[in-house]
Amino acid sequence: MTRLYQVFILLFLLLIFAALTPWQWYPRDWRVWYADNFGASAFQEQAATIPAISSDNTEEACPPDIKGWRKAQTIAGIDVSASSNCLADNPHAVAAFVKGTNNVGHMTLMKSRLSPDAVVKGRDLDGDGDPDEIHIRLEVFELNGGSPDLNVPVTQYAIAPGVMPGLWVFAPKSAGMSTENFESLVAQPGLRLPSPAIRVEQGDKVIVTLENTHYMPHTIHFHGVDHPFQTASGEGNDGVPVMSEMPVMPGQQRSYEMQPRQAGTMFYHCHVEVQAHVLMGLNGMFVIEENRPNNWVQTFNIGDGFVRHSSVAVKEEYDREYDLHYQDLDKELGAKIQQTNDPRLVTQQIHREYDISQADFEYYTLNGRSFPYTAKDSLIVTAPNEKLKLRVLNGGSEGVAIHTHGHKVTISHYDGVEHPEPARITRDVVWVASAQRVDLELSTVDDGLHSYGEGVWLMHDHQERGVTTDGFGPGGNVSAIVYERFLQDDGWPMTFGMAWKNFLTPGFYQRQEDGSGVTALLPGVEASGPSSWRLFAMAILAGLFVGILISWILKGRSNV
Amino acid sequence: MFRACTQRLLSPLLGLLISLPGFAASSHQHHMPGMVMDATGMVMGGNSDQLPEDCQAISAEYEFTVLAGTRFAEPYAATAFGFDQHQWQVKPCSRITINFKNEDDVRHQWMLHGLPKYLYDRGMFHMEASGGFAQTGTFIVPSDNKTYLVHCDIAQHMEKGMKGQLIVGTGSGDLWSIPGVTADFQRERVSLDNGQKIGLLLSALLAALAGFITIKKFAKK
Repeated sequence: MTRLYQVFILLFLLLIFAALTPWQWYPRDWRVWYADNFGASAFQEQAATIPAISSDNTEEACPPDIKGWRKAQTIAGIDVSASSNCLADNPHAVAAFVKGTNNVGHMTLMKSRLSPDAVVKGRDLDGDGDPDEIHIRLEVFELNGGSPDLNVPVTQYAIAPGVMPGLWVFAPKSAGMSTENFESLVAQPGLRLPSPAIRVEQGDKVIVTLENTHYMPHTIHFHGVDHPFQTASGEGNDGVPVMSEMPVMPGQQRSYEMQPRQAGTMFYHCHVEVQAHVLMGLNGMFVIEENRPNNWVQTFNIGDGFVRHSSVAVKEEYDREYDLHYQDLDKELGAKIQQTNDPRLVTQQIHREYDISQADFEYYTLNGRSFPYTAKDSLIVTAPNEKLKLRVLNGGSEGVAIHTHGHKVTISHYDGVEHPEPARITRDVVWVASAQRVDLELSTVDDGLHSYGEGVWLMHDHQERGVTTDGFGPGGNVSAIVYERFLQDDGWPMTFGMAWKNFLTPGFYQRQEDGSGVTALLPGVEASGPSSWRLFAMAILAGLFVGILISWILKGRSNV
Repeated sequence: MFRACTQRLLSPLLGLLISLPGFAASSHQHHMPGMVMDATGMVMGGNSDQLPEDCQAISAEYEFTVLAGTRFAEPYAATAFGFDQHQWQVKPCSRITINFKNEDDVRHQWMLHGLPKYLYDRGMFHMEASGGFAQTGTFIVPSDNKTYLVHCDIAQHMEKGMKGQLIVGTGSGDLWSIPGVTADFQRERVSLDNGQKIGLLLSALLAALAGFITIKKFAKK
C-alpha cells in the first residue's frame, strides 16, 4: 500500500468527521456562510399548496359577561358608567381607583385585585370636596416572558390571536397572583398592555412610587407633567439615569413627587435604555384634569379606552371620553426575553445586542391590542348628536396618521396645551409623532362635515403598515367608531362584509420563517442540542482515525 | 431519564391545556376564614387546627423563618430573586409555621400549591409580604409523601429564582429549576454530561481497536 493511499484514507475519514461535527459547534460566521452558500442544513418538504387557514379553532369573539362588569353600577358610593364594549374594565377596580384603595371596603378591594396601598387618597387641601393628596404605587410586570421549565410564554397576554410578544408594563400595585389563577398561564385582567393611563387633578400633591418588581433596572420620567428636577429631600425626580438619579434596581423602590400646575394630556415612561425599554411597553398616558369642586378622578384607566368615571370638567363639555394609546412593537426585541431565562443574557441582548437603527416593527397596537382584538375593548361607541373627547397618545417609535372614516375631528389640544378656538383645525387624518399627544373632539352631528351619519366607521393609522400584524392585514391598530344602533347586545359590532372568523384564529397571523435570520436558515439549530447519533458517529470516526493511524505508524516502524 | 423525557413531552401539552379559556374562568376571590389582608401583605389559607381527613393527630411541629429578596439570588447564576433557603423537609401530618420576612422594598410571596382543596381554598396556602414587612402563617400537611411547589407568583419571580419545594415525608420527586437543588428543565446544554462523555469515549476506544486490528490483519497479507 502506498503512503499516498494511506494519507488519502485518513483525509477521507477526517472529511467525514468534519461533516459530522454538529452545527451547534460551528462559529456563528461559518453557519451564516454555509447557509448563504448551501442553504439550510435540513431538507424541509414544502406543501404543494399553502393550506387554507383552518377556522376549526376560531376563538370566541366576545365571551359572555358572567361577572356583570359591563352594566352601569354604583360601587362603594362611586358611579361607574356602563361600558358598551365587549370586555369592560373591572368596575370594582374603577371604584377603588376613584375613591382610593385606602377608602374602599374589603370586598371591593378583593374584587379589584389591588393592594390596599395602590392608590392612597388623603386630605382635601383646598376644601373643594375632593382629595388632593394622592399616593400612587406602580409595579413593573413582564408579560409573555420566558420560563426555565415551559416552552410557552408565561404570564401570557395576547395582542391578537396567537400573537404574544414579550412585553414590560407598569401596573398599579396589585395583590396576589399575576395570573388569572394557579391553573392558568394567562395574566390577570389588571396586567396588560398598554401601561395604564394615570389621572390626577390639577394642583394635587402627587407621589408616584415605583416598586421595581422586575429583574431589570427602571425609572419613571414624567414627560410634559409639571414636576421639579429634585424632590423636597433632594432626590432625583426626573427619572433620567444619566442626569438626575441612579435607576431603581430590582427589589427597590423610589418615589417621585409633583404638584402639576397645568392641566392636559401628558406622558410617562421608563428612561433606562429608552431605545428598548419604552418600546417594550414601559410608557403610558398621564392626564392632569382641570381643578373642579367634588372632582374625584379615576386614577387609573386599565387598558386605556373608555373612561368609566370621567372628571367633572370633561363631563361639563363631553358625552363620553376615550383614551387612545397607539404603540408599535418590534417582534425581535420582544422575543429576546423569551429566548433565555438568564437575566444577564437578557440584559446583554436588550441593552447591547439590540440595534434599533436596524429594527423594523411588526406589531401596531391600539390600547395594547391589534385587530380583531381591538373590537373587544377599543371600539369608540357613540350615538348621534354627541360630543366625544378622544385623548390620543403615540407611545411608539414611529408616527401614526390616524384616519377616521365618516368623520372629521377637531384638534383641541396639542401635547396637553389648549389650541385657541379660532385657530383649531378640523381634519380626517391626524398625524401624531412619537411621544406626542393630541386631544380630539369628535362630533357626531350629521352635518356632512363632522359626521356623515350613523354606521360602523373604520378608524386606523393610514400608514398602511399600521393596519397589519406581522405584515398580515387586516390587523394592526384598526378599530372603529360604532354607533349604538350598529352594536350588538354583547358589545360586538354589526358588520356587513367578510366574516371575521378567520381573523380570530392564531394561524392567520403566523408568518412562516422567511429566511431573514440565521435561525430561519438553519432550522432548529440555535434552539436544540446536537443529535446523539451524530456525536456517536463522530466518536466512531475519531476512534477509527486514531486506530488506523497508530496501526500504520507501528507497521512503518516494524518495517524499518 | 424517563422522567426527563415524559416531562419534556408533557410540559407543552400541559401548557396548552391549562391555557384553555375554560380553565381560566373561575378566578373570583372570596372573603374566607384563615385570610388576613392589609397594606403589609396577606395570609390566605392559614390553618392551625383543622386536621386533614387522613391524619389522626399532629405528628410534629415545625417553624421556619424564610427570608426573601434579591440578595438571595447572589449564590445562584442566572437568578435575580430568591429565598434564603429553597427546600424544606417535614413529616407527614405535621403543622408548619412560616415566618416570612421580605427584605426587599417590593412585594414577595411564599405560596404553596397542591394542598387538599376541601381544606384549603384552591389547594393553596399563600403568604404575601409588602416590601420590608413580615408575615406569619400556619398550615397542616396531609399524610401522603409529596413534594409541594413553593413560589412567588409575581410575574417572573419564580422563573428568576423564587422557587422552592416542601418535601413531606419522602416526597414525590424533585421539581425542576430550584436554585441550588435541581437544574432547569429547559437550560441550554452547553456541555455533555458525564454519562455521555464516557459513552462517547468508549465508542471511540472500541472503534480505535477495530481500526487497529483491521489494518494489522490487512497489513499481514
